[in-house]
Amino acid sequence: MAYSNKVLDHYNHPRNVGSMDKSDPNVGTGMVGAPECGDVMKLQVKVNPETGIIEDAKFKTFGCGSAIASSSLATEMLKGKTVDEALAIKNTEIVNELALPPVKIHCSVLAEDAIKAAISDYKKKTGAEVPAATASH
Amino acid sequence: MDYFEILGIDRRLSLDVDFLQKRFYQLSREYHPDRFASKPAAERAQAEQKSALLNDAWRTLRDPLQRIEYLLKLEGLDVVEQRTKDVPPELLEEVFELNMALEEARMGDEDARGELAGMRDHFLQLRQAIDAELQQLSAEYDAAPGSPKLQQIRGVMNRRSYIRNLVNEVEKELAPSGQNTPA
Repeated sequence: MAYSNKVLDHYNHPRNVGSMDKSDPNVGTGMVGAPECGDVMKLQVKVNPETGIIEDAKFKTFGCGSAIASSSLATEMLKGKTVDEALAIKNTEIVNELALPPVKIHCSVLAEDAIKAAISDYKKKTGAEVPAATASH
Repeated sequence: MDYFEILGIDRRLSLDVDFLQKRFYQLSREYHPDRFASKPAAERAQAEQKSALLNDAWRTLRDPLQRIEYLLKLEGLDVVEQRTKDVPPELLEEVFELNMALEEARMGDEDARGELAGMRDHFLQLRQAIDAELQQLSAEYDAAPGSPKLQQIRGVMNRRSYIRNLVNEVEKELAPSGQNTPA
């Protein structure tokens, strides 16, 4: 599989690898996976409760280069966005940015799912409802 | 026509492979091209099609895991078309932790690397237990087929995929070629 330069860049120099305190009320954690490829992806956001802006994002992904690159890019996209803006991120943006081939599109879907799961977790902690997070298809 | 139909058997998960093989040979002779050499083109083409389907059916159904995946697909529970919400968080947590431990051992010093062999044994034990569970669930499904049982089977298949991947990863790491590369 020939990876695009952008995938290789994120794969070799992943941004924002790490984890944050799961029990922090301002941190939302999303854990998603694709069993048939053995991928598992953890993505976390830290939200400023005053402004609703995502101040930090971390990820840790076990999987192929495209899955790592997709989640790395996702954390970059998240920083500085509001929670609602983050929910509007579509996997197609990741596909375009990384020039993912059709067989790797599911990696970007996984990253989108991870974003939604992390925001959903954060909103659950703050008591707000997010039907969008589980209703994505 | 699906793989079970071409072989003339019920949709079951526990199959006697010897029986299956006999059935396969018998039907292979029946659809053999030689027997259709003098037949009209349409009939010949149909026999060729059946023969090809028969080969695919045998190759798939003789393997218990491929058989399960195939049946899940027939019943609308294709493992490839799952979304995140189909994978329970406990499984993801477990797999994440196992991957973390494997990564630490891999990146670590000689002591940490020494744990790799133990991890491999642990993963292999997990895989063995999963295969036993699948065998049990297959028998249960055959006795009382139904969607809930299949969902349960798919869940176990998911766990198996993850564990299989971990086995591959750790074995890659333990392979002598990876460690003794000349500087």
